[in-house]
Amino acid sequence: MADINRLIVSPSPHTSNGYSTKAVMLDVIIGLSPAVLAGIYYFRLNAVLLIATCVISCVLTELICCKIRKKASSVGDLSAVITGLVLAMSLPPALPLAYAAIGCVFTIAISKMVFGGLGCNPFNPAMVGRVFLTACFGMAMTTWTMPASLNPEMPYIGSSDAVITTTYTADETTTDAITGATPLGWVKKAIKTRNLEDASRIVQANYANSQVKACFYGYTGGCLGETSAIALLVGGIYLLIRRTIIWVVPVCVLGSAFLFAEVIYAFDRTAFANPLLHIVSGGMMICAFFIATDPVTIPISRKGMAIFGIGAGLLIMLIRTFGGYPEGVMYAILIMNAFTPLIDRACKVKPIGGVPGGK
Amino acid sequence: MKFTFRGGVHPPEGKELTENCAIAAGPAPKQVSILLSQHIGAICEPAAEKKQEVKIGDVVGNSEAFVSAKVHSSVNGIVKDIALRSHPVLGRVNGVIIDVSPDNVTKMPAAQSLFTDFDINKYSEQAILDAMGNCGIVGMGGAGFPTKVKAIPNPKSPKETLVINACECEPYITCDYRVILEWTDQFMAGVLLMKKGSGCSKCYIGIEDNKPEAIRILKEKTSRHADVEVTVLKTKYPQGSERQLINAVLGKIIPTGQIPPMAGIVVCNVSTAAAVAEAVVTGAPLTHRVVTVSGRGIKKPGNYYAPIGISAQELIDHAGGLTDDAVKVIMGGPMMGFAIGDLTTPTTKTTGSILALTAKEVGKAKFGRVQTNCIRCGRCLDACPERLNPTKIAHAVKADMLDVAQDTYITACMECGSCSYVCPANIELTGYIKTGKILLARKKKNLPA
Repeated sequence: MADINRLIVSPSPHTSNGYSTKAVMLDVIIGLSPAVLAGIYYFRLNAVLLIATCVISCVLTELICCKIRKKASSVGDLSAVITGLVLAMSLPPALPLAYAAIGCVFTIAISKMVFGGLGCNPFNPAMVGRVFLTACFGMAMTTWTMPASLNPEMPYIGSSDAVITTTYTADETTTDAITGATPLGWVKKAIKTRNLEDASRIVQANYANSQVKACFYGYTGGCLGETSAIALLVGGIYLLIRRTIIWVVPVCVLGSAFLFAEVIYAFDRTAFANPLLHIVSGGMMICAFFIATDPVTIPISRKGMAIFGIGAGLLIMLIRTFGGYPEGVMYAILIMNAFTPLIDRACKVKPIGGVPGGK
Repeated sequence: MKFTFRGGVHPPEGKELTENCAIAAGPAPKQVSILLSQHIGAICEPAAEKKQEVKIGDVVGNSEAFVSAKVHSSVNGIVKDIALRSHPVLGRVNGVIIDVSPDNVTKMPAAQSLFTDFDINKYSEQAILDAMGNCGIVGMGGAGFPTKVKAIPNPKSPKETLVINACECEPYITCDYRVILEWTDQFMAGVLLMKKGSGCSKCYIGIEDNKPEAIRILKEKTSRHADVEVTVLKTKYPQGSERQLINAVLGKIIPTGQIPPMAGIVVCNVSTAAAVAEAVVTGAPLTHRVVTVSGRGIKKPGNYYAPIGISAQELIDHAGGLTDDAVKVIMGGPMMGFAIGDLTTPTTKTTGSILALTAKEVGKAKFGRVQTNCIRCGRCLDACPERLNPTKIAHAVKADMLDVAQDTYITACMECGSCSYVCPANIELTGYIKTGKILLARKKKNLPA
């Protein structure tokens, strides 16, 4: 019976569906691609270079870290690619590439590989990278460019703050880039006046809520991948259909943020921005679908995810409204990541037949 | 209307390999090993000695305990030895090894004419229970619980509902399906006998919707009986698990740690019902059963009526033998069955199928599988029919934190394998949980780990 030697004996089940971690990550990359393409459309060469730098830095860092740990390279599971993409999407398009590379090296090495690689990191690596860069290179991280496709004659947000840099050549005058405030920038400016009268003047004077459409489609200033809400929405819906993310987190993040914004908007319509504006501008959409849904760093049960989402949405709005920064996504996510183990303990999954022994 | 349960998975059914194969004669064995433990409960003491001549149907193993079942010889022969043989779950178990005599007659399935115009009133409740006991009937769906013990009335928890498990949710297995198609009257008689024997007032036959022919036949037959109803269920694994079956058919959830009889429900397998019918009407003990030999690693898959105690090797050879690319031989189904390396392992009353799978069918659940880190995607939580947290339990066992495993309800796990099936990181969740349960059981008995 020479047959016996080739028979495998291992525990059941003896079959498996074809899905793999790499396939999950590939789905996320496909979900991000509309927003990546939108970013490239609006910010042209800057976008391409920034995305390439971030992805390559992240992948190389992971490769080197695996070598140092003397383990097989885990780059094939594409998680470093996603960290690079998400981080690139949340950076200002004009950020010097060296800074972006440093941020990527830091986040992959320190916030992910040191803890044990994929699945072991307590904090969302892309957000850790962004926080690190904001701390180290604050000025560069808050310099925004306007989309290349924008007509300079058209009134846009923050036009009073715009600085146009132009190069003059013999034949023509070309505009390199227009730096200007972003929607959330002047929202924050309005809030900082601490004076509802002045605030309402600023918000009204800047065509506040008519800019919702601009933010939805993306022709406004902001981070590379965050400007086009519709591209992010399309990608998010793809991920929901594929069950790569679960509806609980996006609904809770957007829902709680909207509710909070609605409450303070009802308080004074002229001084605070329209809740819809808050939803479509800044990092809110990318957070709801791609950052707050990172499975490694959020609670595992649906109830836990709901608490996480509501907390994140609230924190984002609190920081935007009362905090010192115009955008609160990165801090909100990191704070909620810190709560994840506690939330998991509080929201223990109970069997369908109840806890053994009654109750 | 289609009913279902929470969670579960839908692996490729593989039934097309054998669902149209009529029940054929099994091989004529040279030797059978009647294991003394083919059921839940006390292991039997041998009732035959070396060199004793036995005839088919003679009792060769018996026990005084209440929860136990007799075992009978499935051949005419001479007892060679009482020795250890491989058992897929228990490792090594004592069995009565019988060399088959030349005068052995191949037993045929009971004639269906015996069951047409079946009159339930001819048989008393006690006669039914006695036949179950004398003929060694146990749950043939896999668990092997002695049927008499299950059916015996208990004044403290009276039984009201009988649910017949016609789901056959594991891929490839078609033995129960063929029994319904070919031994319909015998099966229906068995249903009525189980119902009367256990004292139930209502009976449901739960069947998955991937068996339209069987559904049609059953609906026709049950139209004559007001208190027997066919319930069509959504095809999903593990619909055939009794807790999930009761949930889908009756909408009831049995509390964790309790068994269905405590809620007045009795669940019975199709082959068991057919065996009860043969036992009551003809008095024949349980010595043969239909076994599906299938998988793409088998040259001629089919359903065979074979004597209990025949070796896996003989059945596989009877079905054409293994193909060159077969990598796993499994007793049972691909989701919960046990892989064997020793093909002399004998079949038992609960062996419904022997499968040989190719590398392609095994997929990424292969030997030397690459397991990567858990990304906490939650697919295992969604797939678990009992709504447990498989990844937490498995990793607690891996980290040797058995108290955490107990805290996260490891004992509620029925090892169905749905979690491992869906895991993208290819983690052997079910394997870890099984290990954890064994370690916990040994710890309780103060045995070394």
